[in-house]
Amino acid sequence: MTSIDIRGLTKRYGPVRALDDLTVTIEPGRVTGFLGPNGAGKTTTMRVVLGLDRPTSGTALVGGRPYATLPDPLRHVGALLDASAAHPARTARDHLLTLALTHRIPAARVDRLLEETGLASAARRRVRTFSLGMRQRLGLAAALLGDPPVVLLDEPTNGLDPEGIVHLRNLTRRLADEGRTVLISSHLMGEIARVADHLVVLGQGRLLADAPLDRFTASHASLEDAYFALTTPFADHAAPEGRRP
Amino acid sequence: MTLLPVLRSEWLKIRSLRPLLAALAGVFVATAGITVLVHAMVGKAEAGGPDFEPVGGSYYGLNFGHLAAVCFGVLAVAGEYTDNKAVRLSLMAVPRRGLFYAAKMLVVGAAALPVGLATGFGCFLGAQALLGEYGVGLGADGALRSAVGCGLYLTLLTLFSAGVAAVVRSQVGALCLLTPVVFLVSPVVGSIGAVRDVAAWLPDRAGQQILHPHPDGPLGAWSGMAVMALWTVLAVAAGWWTLHRRDA
Repeated sequence: MTSIDIRGLTKRYGPVRALDDLTVTIEPGRVTGFLGPNGAGKTTTMRVVLGLDRPTSGTALVGGRPYATLPDPLRHVGALLDASAAHPARTARDHLLTLALTHRIPAARVDRLLEETGLASAARRRVRTFSLGMRQRLGLAAALLGDPPVVLLDEPTNGLDPEGIVHLRNLTRRLADEGRTVLISSHLMGEIARVADHLVVLGQGRLLADAPLDRFTASHASLEDAYFALTTPFADHAAPEGRRP
Repeated sequence: MTLLPVLRSEWLKIRSLRPLLAALAGVFVATAGITVLVHAMVGKAEAGGPDFEPVGGSYYGLNFGHLAAVCFGVLAVAGEYTDNKAVRLSLMAVPRRGLFYAAKMLVVGAAALPVGLATGFGCFLGAQALLGEYGVGLGADGALRSAVGCGLYLTLLTLFSAGVAAVVRSQVGALCLLTPVVFLVSPVVGSIGAVRDVAAWLPDRAGQQILHPHPDGPLGAWSGMAVMALWTVLAVAAGWWTLHRRDA
């Protein structure tokens, strides 16, 4: 089973410390909710894990190896980082095929994932015509292409319709039950409370909590209350790298 | 991870975007089309004059058509850097950036070369046919060299533009940088006597020497092509350096 091991990770963008000596392990077989105010470093963490951003110091390993050294990365890690990360003039199916070809993943697998994510009828439409929810579904299909043991989802519920949210909830549950490592960031406390087994909370690039969901919420009325009690001093919305309000 | 699957992926990226195919077709249509049009209208009227030179004149349309090659090279690379940052997904699939970049450049070059050669021979044969008794064959001095050279010129210009786009990482930025150079700076500077010998070393000027049987200026046919190849190597290397150094 594959875990994500983050050791002493620091990422500076100019004078800003997006990540500040972060050490945490994301374990397999459970859904880990990834929480924190805007600009806390959640997306940066995922980007460094995926080798997109170079850390200032520290390491992020997937199954003991840096992502960039994995021989066939899509078969190890699937990620939904940015729902619109597809060329707008390409069709959904061609978009997935360009990714699949790099790993010799058959076109039949692409078609099955389009089916599973409810995009089969839109497969030959250009991505620019897609709603945000449809783009999220397409991003989810891309993340699952290689049937990976590790799945990273950055705010996957954005723009999803109720049906899509239920599908995502069932999917993340099933992936974790199959023994996979699932890390899902979200600002929807109710959704995280329903789906997560474990929580990792960041504030200003530092680890604030790493605990099972029930222990985290034990002395509070809800996950939301527990979250605010922990993060309010760290919610600096003027911080750069801040994402959508 | 090996080169072949990445090449197939990059090839699909080109095939699946209509603007890229349009730009590629535009190289042939604009260059050969304008050449044929001009020769059909004024070809024989000017033939036989003291400055008449049938080979170099065949590539008149290149003055316009080569912008399509610039567009193709820019769009093929900068398409990864639109607001959508498709490059992030590309690099998730192929995290070895050297492999990703090499495959992209190989495919862009491999798509441009046959189109460029078809354009070169299309221009030459079309123009000579319309020149009638003034026309020459491919066996004429420098003729075959010019047609092949036109193909090489368009391929190198495409790769040069692709390299610049990889540095600038923006369609608009790369086109704003390249279009004035190819359309304005080079022709204008090239026509001013005092600096003509300097302008001859610009990539497009240098590469176009091969279109003439007897190039004038400081560079010859193949030495000019070599200068253009050097520019291309520098641009592609700078693009690689940018991709290698920067966060995606």
